[in-house]
Amino acid sequence: MNRIARQIGGWFEARLGIAQALRPILGHRTPRGAKWWYVFGSATLTLFLIQVVTGILLAMVYVPSGDQAYESLQYLNYTQELGWFLRALHNTAASGMVVMLVIHMTQVFLMGAFKYPRELTWLFGVGLLAITMGMAFTGQVLRWDQDAYWGVGVGSAMAGRLPIIGPYMVRLICSGPTIGGETLSRFFALHVFVLPGTLILLVVGHLYLVLRLGISSPPVAGKPVDPKTYDAEYERELANGVTFYPNPIRRDMIFSALTVIVIVALAAMIGPMGPGEPPDPTIIKSDPRPDWEFLPLFGLLALSPAPLEPVAIFGVPAIIGLVLILIPFVGSKGERSPRRRPVAVLSVILFFTTAGVLGWLGHTSPWSPVMDAWSGLPVPERMVKNLRPLELQGAAVFQVKTCRNCHALDGIGGERGPDLTKVATKLTHDELIRQVIQGGGLMPAFGSRLSPAEIDAMVAFLETLRPPGEPPARSAVTARR
Amino acid sequence: MSQCVRFITRCMALPLACVISSGCDRPDPANRPLRPSEVLDFGVLYAQNCSGCHGADGKLGPAPPLNDSLFLAMASDADLQRVIAEGRPGTPMSAFARSAGGGLTPQQVTAIVSGMRSKWSAATTRPAAPLSPYLTQVGHGTATAGAAVFSRNCAICHGANGEGASKAGAVNSPAFLALITDQALRRIVITGRPDLGMPDYQHAADGAARPTPLNEQEISDVVALLASWRQTAAQQSGQVAQAAGASR
Ligand code: HEC
Ligand code: HEC
Ligand code: HEC
Repeated sequence: MNRIARQIGGWFEARLGIAQALRPILGHRTPRGAKWWYVFGSATLTLFLIQVVTGILLAMVYVPSGDQAYESLQYLNYTQELGWFLRALHNTAASGMVVMLVIHMTQVFLMGAFKYPRELTWLFGVGLLAITMGMAFTGQVLRWDQDAYWGVGVGSAMAGRLPIIGPYMVRLICSGPTIGGETLSRFFALHVFVLPGTLILLVVGHLYLVLRLGISSPPVAGKPVDPKTYDAEYERELANGVTFYPNPIRRDMIFSALTVIVIVALAAMIGPMGPGEPPDPTIIKSDPRPDWEFLPLFGLLALSPAPLEPVAIFGVPAIIGLVLILIPFVGSKGERSPRRRPVAVLSVILFFTTAGVLGWLGHTSPWSPVMDAWSGLPVPERMVKNLRPLELQGAAVFQVKTCRNCHALDGIGGERGPDLTKVATKLTHDELIRQVIQGGGLMPAFGSRLSPAEIDAMVAFLETLRPPGEPPARSAVTARR
Repeated sequence: MSQCVRFITRCMALPLACVISSGCDRPDPANRPLRPSEVLDFGVLYAQNCSGCHGADGKLGPAPPLNDSLFLAMASDADLQRVIAEGRPGTPMSAFARSAGGGLTPQQVTAIVSGMRSKWSAATTRPAAPLSPYLTQVGHGTATAGAAVFSRNCAICHGANGEGASKAGAVNSPAFLALITDQALRRIVITGRPDLGMPDYQHAADGAARPTPLNEQEISDVVALLASWRQTAAQQSGQVAQAAGASR
């Protein structure tokens, strides 16, 4: 049995020479002491392989057309045996891939492994990061639910506001002036052909460079990189080193296997993501959120004033990309050890803290108004009980003019603007009128959209909004009321 | 290598046990999201579209209560359907039918009407006194006759000239009258606002049953009076009362 297998193997080997090609890879020497720090890159690759397999399986069922995409995902979720698991796995592994990639890049950055002679390896990595984020975004769009629809909507609206190239960008993203079935086909083509193709090319380049230049040895404080002497030094370290097989590769495999196990378990436990509400252009979903990878950007969007929104959504990623590209050129020499690079360590901490805070903001921030608050959220009964006829009308006007979409009463309602439960203790009659007519800050001006009677009634209602016993606000000049 | 395999199998045991014990999260078809236009459940439709103004339970909202069996006994299905579909221009009551720029399909409007009926009309409270028609009877009432009706029946709470008193607020305010239709005024006079303490046409200010309930003529007269206040106010301030023309 064994002999036959070996003979067949030998027959193929004589013609293909695979083992011959692999031997130098497995046998190449790596510096000592690499240890567990170096396993994240291969784990990222492993997750990418899972994505390829699950992606191909998904593509067999998924229909990239505006009216059937959603249905085909429903079919996978509810009808196709284990279809839900396939979707869950593809989604979880995608998240895992981004996580591993970020850890890998952080490790490489902190250990200064991007320095001479590995600048190009780093650049390939930056390209891989960009493509992976592109995969995450396009994949989220393929879910073609309200979130997806909205995601493209915001993206293209922002793109449309860019100077000069705006309209062209919109056409490029949506393949037309508006979002439709063709937009979906476009994202499908990107997600299954263009981006993965590019990704594979970049991976090949990245791996080639890794093999050609070797894995960097762990940094030692006080041993700066000097291109003049580095190569000779590295040769010495290699002579002292270990072969890739068995130990380093075993670490890679164990870690990859663990990652796969965790991902499979998570996929089974969490289940597939969505699809949420079906896409419907007539409805502005009340609370759309992007997938977690994009939450920091989303938080940034929520924070930025309207004119700066396109800058936030396109400018900030562009700046991050540029910084990542410049890193190996600016810092190609010098100390590698994080102990001697306080600026590098601090900037990593700063980056992750900012991303974390922004991500949290993006997760929680009521950036967008609650779209159906005006018709759905009751005016608190305790308030209604004390209202006079004019104020009753005012409360109805308050609702119908969508004030509630941004303003809460008794804590319930939109949170884009302040809760108005006690507004009468803060603002006088005149100030209320001014606020309503002129708006201000992030509040639109309603003056042109309100009749004098509506303003009267609504302000009368707003003036009732104070706890019993607390005096109304008084203007500094005269108490007019 | 075999050592490594053993290690992996051992690691695998934990998450697997976890998955098996917690059960897999296979999606449940019952949680499948509905297209908004497919929702026909009255509770959901009402909570999304109406409770903002008409109150969570159809009363104690700023707009006239819908959870009012007298009102539901007066208004026909067609009346209700028409208000919901077309709204009341000039008032906060917006048009909800898709054909009129709202978000509801005809089926959903019908579902709301039948939901209101089955949930809120109490079969027992067929009024003792003859119930006036729901829709405004054009030209029936006169403001002068209305003034007498008002001082007999309303002044005790709303003040002699509708300027408001301790028990209830002003009903002569130009802004208030500009935002409410005669149709809604008529309905309020008939049904009162039981949720806010205003009696219906069969009851007096103290809450006791009236010896003679307000009749159709008195109701039309008092609405004509309120409408005349709106007119005077509009002439004085030179602005057109928006709601007057919109009354249906
Ligand atoms: C798009 C969201 C949005 C809408 C819609 C909106 N507001 Fe505002 N509103 C805000 C924001 C944001 C602020 C805080 C303004 C600032 O930055 O000074 C605010 C402030 C106010 C204030 C001052 C509150 C304070 O504590 O200082 C009042 C009063 C107010 N709004 C009333 C209204 C009324 C009445 C309407 C409906 C006609 C309305 N708003 C509609 C967003 C909104
Ligand atoms: C923005 C506030 C608002 C919302 C939301 C709203 N309404 Fe109204 N509705 C009003 C007001 C105000 C009136 C009285 C209009 C008038 O002056 O005639 C009214 C009147 C009505 C009437 C006629 C009542 C009468 O006394 O003649 C019906 C029926 C009605 N609404 C049903 C609904 C239904 C059903 C919904 C949900 C689909 C709804 N409304 C949503 C404000 C609202
Ligand atoms: C027992 C006292 C009482 C009497 C009598 C009374 N009302 Fe009222 N009315 C109220 C109360 C209480 C409200 C709720 C608003 C408030 O508190 O001011 C109200 C509200 C109203 C409203 C506004 C309703 C709304 O939804 O905006 C109108 C119009 C009105 N009354 C007209 C009349 C007319 C006309 C009469 C005589 C036929 C009358 N009322 C008799 C107590 C009364």
